[in-house]
Amino acid sequence: MKTLLWAERMKLRRSKIIWIALFSAVMVSVIVYMQGQFLFQGHRYVDEPGWFMTAAQSLGSIFVLPAIIALMGSYMICREEQGDTMKSLRLIPVKLSRLVGAKLVLAAFMSVLLYAFLFIITFSTEAALHFSLLKSAAVLNFLKIYLLQGICLFFAISPIIAIVAVLKKGYWISLIFAEVYSFAGLFVGMQNTARFIYPVTAAFCVSGYYESTLPQMITSILSLFICACLSLLILDRLNRKYNS
Amino acid sequence: MLNLIQTEFLKLRRKNFIFLMLISSLLMPLLAVFYFGAAKKADITPMQFYKWSAYSYTSWIILPVVLGILGTMLLYDENQNDMLKQLWIIPISKLGYFLSKFVIVFLYSVLFMMITAVCSILAGILPGTIPLTADSVSYLFLKCFEIGALAPFAMLPVLAVAASQKGYILPICVTLVYTFLGFILLMVNMYVHPLSGMTAIVINDMPDIVMKQPIDLKSAFLCIGIWSIASIICADVTLRKRQ
Repeated sequence: MKTLLWAERMKLRRSKIIWIALFSAVMVSVIVYMQGQFLFQGHRYVDEPGWFMTAAQSLGSIFVLPAIIALMGSYMICREEQGDTMKSLRLIPVKLSRLVGAKLVLAAFMSVLLYAFLFIITFSTEAALHFSLLKSAAVLNFLKIYLLQGICLFFAISPIIAIVAVLKKGYWISLIFAEVYSFAGLFVGMQNTARFIYPVTAAFCVSGYYESTLPQMITSILSLFICACLSLLILDRLNRKYNS
Repeated sequence: MLNLIQTEFLKLRRKNFIFLMLISSLLMPLLAVFYFGAAKKADITPMQFYKWSAYSYTSWIILPVVLGILGTMLLYDENQNDMLKQLWIIPISKLGYFLSKFVIVFLYSVLFMMITAVCSILAGILPGTIPLTADSVSYLFLKCFEIGALAPFAMLPVLAVAASQKGYILPICVTLVYTFLGFILLMVNMYVHPLSGMTAIVINDMPDIVMKQPIDLKSAFLCIGIWSIASIICADVTLRKRQ
């Protein structure tokens, strides 16, 4: 597994996808900052301490970042089929489920990295705008929210990425499905009970964006756990298919 | 040109996923059913219902993302299979090639919105949420056609990016960011981004929508026009360079 992870990391270094994903995070910050210029009761949104960090995380997590994470995961899986390198890998031999597993682990890491990068941008902007008004406890809380959101959102998206491994050229499906899946979270978030069950909004609950009681938190963790189990189940099925 | 469009249609027959994407047109009508069902409001007007099911998020988010993916897909498949060289040998005009893809996106967009309109009517009438009136139905179809016809022009910049790239990663990311930008700019300035401009045109004569300032249709059309012309020129130049 360690070797597979190393190999995947080396492959990613040659790819532009990381830079494009980081560019998306930068663009999310820029767009949300533009929205912050909107006047409400004589004040700009962005002048309120913490608004920018909250808005970038929530808007990005609904509209852009889930699809980017799904794109990264599905790209890593599909490139072996596209580049016709799967045959060579199977000759080594590499176990397919392990290979896809390594890709998923790396995608999870990339998801957290993307959120960490977004945090750095938003925190730097907040610090530049009103450093004296920022409290260290609040900043640390935001850091926790961002990092947990990164990993939880990955778990929510992971079944879609795992399905790509089965469908081979299904990265288009993964994209459209990830976008619709995360977009629907916007409306599910309005429902008090459903928001703790629906995986995308459950990620918001676990990260601490939504205030929740212990049972609600457990429900959300369970929802994400089911997503992770579903991905493993799909991978296991894939492995059996190849072995047979 | 007509031959190119016909060829594009023939190629579509092999792409089942394009037809699967039409399912996403059901999303907002379905959400509207749940939303108005949960709200349990009396006297819901057809306009209120259709605003939710067809005029809002479908045109702001869903349709642009679907069209961006469709455009990328149409252009990427030929790049991936190295078919462009053969097409240039025939020879095919670069602009004609790009515009034939645009025509497909245009027709798909109109079809997508017509399906949304039909689903909106069914989603409103079948549970008994709204009454069926000729005025509201004709207005819905008219507005859906308007959205379907304008959205491909607003998405031309993404199509130009897809034409300039061999891969699909960048055009897809651009689609997401571009759509998100258009959605956010609705509240800031409606005449900078083509998608916001499109919304300005669509909501111009819509009842019960109060704007801070009156909508300037000329600026909205100008915004879409400038971006469209610039995109077509860019796509033509990049396709010529790639020769």
